[in-house]
Amino acid sequence: MSLLRVEDLHTHFISRDLDNQIQVAKALNGVSFSLDAGRILGLVGETGAGKSLTATSIMGLLRPPARIMGGRALFQGQDLLAMPDDDLNALRGRDIALVVQSPKSSLDPLSRIGDQLIRIRRAHRGGTASEAREKAIATLGALGIPDPARRMQAWPHELSGGMAQRVLIALALMNEPRLLIADEPTTGLDVTVQAQILDLLRDLVRRTGIAAMIITHDLGVVAHYCDEMAVMYAGAIVESGPVRQVFRRPAHPYTVNLIGATPERLRLGATRTVGGPPPNLKALPPGCPYQDRCPQAGADCTMVPPDVPLGEGHVARCHRVAA
Amino acid sequence: MPIGRMLARRLVLVVPLLFVILLGTFMLVRLSGQDPVGLLAGPTATAAEIELVRASLALDQPIWVQFGVYLGKVVQGDLGASWLSNRPVLAEILERAPATLELMLWGVLIGAGIGIPVGLRAAFRPDRAFDQFSRFFSLLGFSVPTYWLGLIMLFVFFYLLEWAPPGMGRISLFLEPPPRVTGSYLIDGLIAADWEVASSAASQLILPVLCVAIICAAPIIKQTRAIALEVLASDYIRYARAQGLPKREIRAMALRNSATPIVTFIGTEITGLVGTTSLIEYVFAWGGLGQYGLSAIIAGDFAAVQGYVLMLALFSVLVFLVVDIYVTLTEPRAA
Amino acid sequence: MSATIASPRWVRRIGGISRRSPTLAAGVFIILGFAVMAVLAPWIAPFDPEFAQPRNVLAAPGGAHLMGTDGNGMDVFSRVIAGARWAFGIAIPAVLVGLLAGVPLGLYTGYRGGWFDEIAMRFFDALRVFPSIILALAVVAAAGPSLLNVVLVIGFLDSPVFARVVRAEVLALRHSTFVESAVSAGNPTWRILFVHILPNALQGAMAQTAVRAAWAVRISATLAFLGVGIQPPTPEWGAMIRQGAEYLVTGQWWVGVFPGIALILMVLGLNMLGDGLQDLLDPRRKAATR
Repeated sequence: MSLLRVEDLHTHFISRDLDNQIQVAKALNGVSFSLDAGRILGLVGETGAGKSLTATSIMGLLRPPARIMGGRALFQGQDLLAMPDDDLNALRGRDIALVVQSPKSSLDPLSRIGDQLIRIRRAHRGGTASEAREKAIATLGALGIPDPARRMQAWPHELSGGMAQRVLIALALMNEPRLLIADEPTTGLDVTVQAQILDLLRDLVRRTGIAAMIITHDLGVVAHYCDEMAVMYAGAIVESGPVRQVFRRPAHPYTVNLIGATPERLRLGATRTVGGPPPNLKALPPGCPYQDRCPQAGADCTMVPPDVPLGEGHVARCHRVAA
Repeated sequence: MPIGRMLARRLVLVVPLLFVILLGTFMLVRLSGQDPVGLLAGPTATAAEIELVRASLALDQPIWVQFGVYLGKVVQGDLGASWLSNRPVLAEILERAPATLELMLWGVLIGAGIGIPVGLRAAFRPDRAFDQFSRFFSLLGFSVPTYWLGLIMLFVFFYLLEWAPPGMGRISLFLEPPPRVTGSYLIDGLIAADWEVASSAASQLILPVLCVAIICAAPIIKQTRAIALEVLASDYIRYARAQGLPKREIRAMALRNSATPIVTFIGTEITGLVGTTSLIEYVFAWGGLGQYGLSAIIAGDFAAVQGYVLMLALFSVLVFLVVDIYVTLTEPRAA
Repeated sequence: MSATIASPRWVRRIGGISRRSPTLAAGVFIILGFAVMAVLAPWIAPFDPEFAQPRNVLAAPGGAHLMGTDGNGMDVFSRVIAGARWAFGIAIPAVLVGLLAGVPLGLYTGYRGGWFDEIAMRFFDALRVFPSIILALAVVAAAGPSLLNVVLVIGFLDSPVFARVVRAEVLALRHSTFVESAVSAGNPTWRILFVHILPNALQGAMAQTAVRAAWAVRISATLAFLGVGIQPPTPEWGAMIRQGAEYLVTGQWWVGVFPGIALILMVLGLNMLGDGLQDLLDPRRKAATR
């Protein structure tokens, strides 16, 4: 059984415009994937494709006007979307930990690093302050932070971006989670620091056997660090499978475009896809959402495209793909 | 040590500010196109008084020497004499300052005591009935004319209900003020163990303090709400939620992070509150510095106006200093 | 929702805006009411606002005098209505003066920067040390209590607010692509300022106008209350409250209470309008409240 299994997740933004008309932006349209323990899944796509929203929907962190309209997210067999708020809150930070992309502003500016680490440990696992302190020092040390006992005394504003990101990872690891979700963990960091942080994450998964989901728009990150990948477009996964498979035989025209637009395929660094404006989530065409930008679009693309299995778990959602 | 550095930096900024304000008050008199001697001595001055003023102003010297003479006098605490009372301005100001400070202190304490909790509650549950109500109340507080509120208070509580004493000063006309220790009649009355004086002072205080509190609660509610909402929308609070910290701890974190901006805001508000307090003093015949300043401005008592303006500036500087010290002590980033 | 689809677009727009910001809708409603009152004053008011009846002094509300008469025997109701004209008559020109003085100053200081900007900002800082009512009072007392002086003083005291808003926008816009391309296309400075930057920077200033108008109405009334602004028997609300002040403690409450209520409503309406406008025009502010 998969550790995390997301089935047909739909999330909409529902608001009213100035003309008092209800506006619905269909941000997630049937996202499905699964993730096993010990594996790293890379979720890629352009800005607005719904990568981060997938994570926040699963973790129950949505705020109005975003609302989950359907689907399931089974974590260790329990549906996170149907769970009472308090239960889910107890799970967050304990079994599912999140690492975000703005580490410096995500740390409480008025608490020392050590106090924040101790706080999250005790909030979820109880225990004495000194036990939590030992755990915190050990965690910082395991992440390669020199002189962890002294670092515990530091204020967030004294940290560099890379150091703050390590502290965030330490916060995530304080309660030995089963699943780590890293949302653009290296955006805004130096290239060398990026590599260090990602190496750290990969080693962690290999060593402890937890599952990780890395959300990124950088195909290089996926190629280097992930086992599986899922390509998102307009709130749906258009292609997924083992990283090597997808890179060798990209099937969906969007994936082809995405990989083709990366000049140096395996280079680390930001990449943006080309080929037209992002889809208007308030007025998606019927059928395939990519039809307006797709070079191979035809009349049948206004029909809902099938998920075509391509072997070894490689799946593409497209009319043009033959099994 | 950071406090020492901060104080030094502050002083460096304060000196030019005070210099500009002194230059302004000096120019106010010199550039008004009228004879400065006449302005400073006043319309009722005798020939001898005019001569005295003329001699003290160094009028035969170039204007920058005159400014130097003025500066020298101010530094020595000589702010000239009010022509309304013929007494030294500094003495009059020092006499009246405690009355105003007493009014402002209680007003701000109560106003903040109402405003901060209301604003926080509104922010923690935005767009609910309580939030809507508090927004309306704060808009109303922005809109009610200070003096009218005072008049209505007097009408309701003095004339209609007969609960409050008439709005005439800080203590019943039939009582002697207590011996001066702090300058606050209430506290001095308590110190002297004179219950009659203390209770009279307290009952005189209630209505004007209430007015100041209501007027000053409005912006505090609005700003506290805005500050807390911004903190609640911050990355670190969102991340605290993602970490599954208990609601209680998230709330405590939000409170701690709101405290410094709220205190800073109240500090800046106190300066503006001087205007409010002055009008309240005017309505309640409070006899404090605010009323003194208003009458001096209206009557054109220039020496008194100069002194009053200088006091206002010093007061603002002092309040900002206190706020700065607080921020330095509580904010790790400031160190 | 089928009902809203059938209704014309402007009806839906009003519904949408009132839903988004009920404050704005209420403010617009109140101010429109006062505007109608001001325009139609001579036809609505039962008496000439300055018509004194010495033998009908301090009559209680009721009968021919809906809000009673004041110490001169003038009809309070008619005077309250006429007061709306004075309120608009001061607030509108004062805000215009503030805009005319503040917007160019903000444009120039923001675009040029340097020592002029520095001095202007320090000067504004120094002004902030003093409560605005004290400043207004001092200048009007020195310059003389004429309507023109009141308008000019309020306008000029308002101008730093507009200057700051515009300056901040200009600073943000100065290095934007469209301004840089306008510069490299060889446009003269004035053209860049007024054609390229001003239209974009003005929105922030416009959002402030209603709040500044509220402030203008308040301050002018306060000045009149202190006897320094508009003088009685002119039907200005502040001056009427001043007349009514002495009667409040002797029981003739109507002289001071009614103009006070009118003043509160007008200022409240303008503040609500301003608050709503800022909600609507500043998406960041709205985002923070969500």
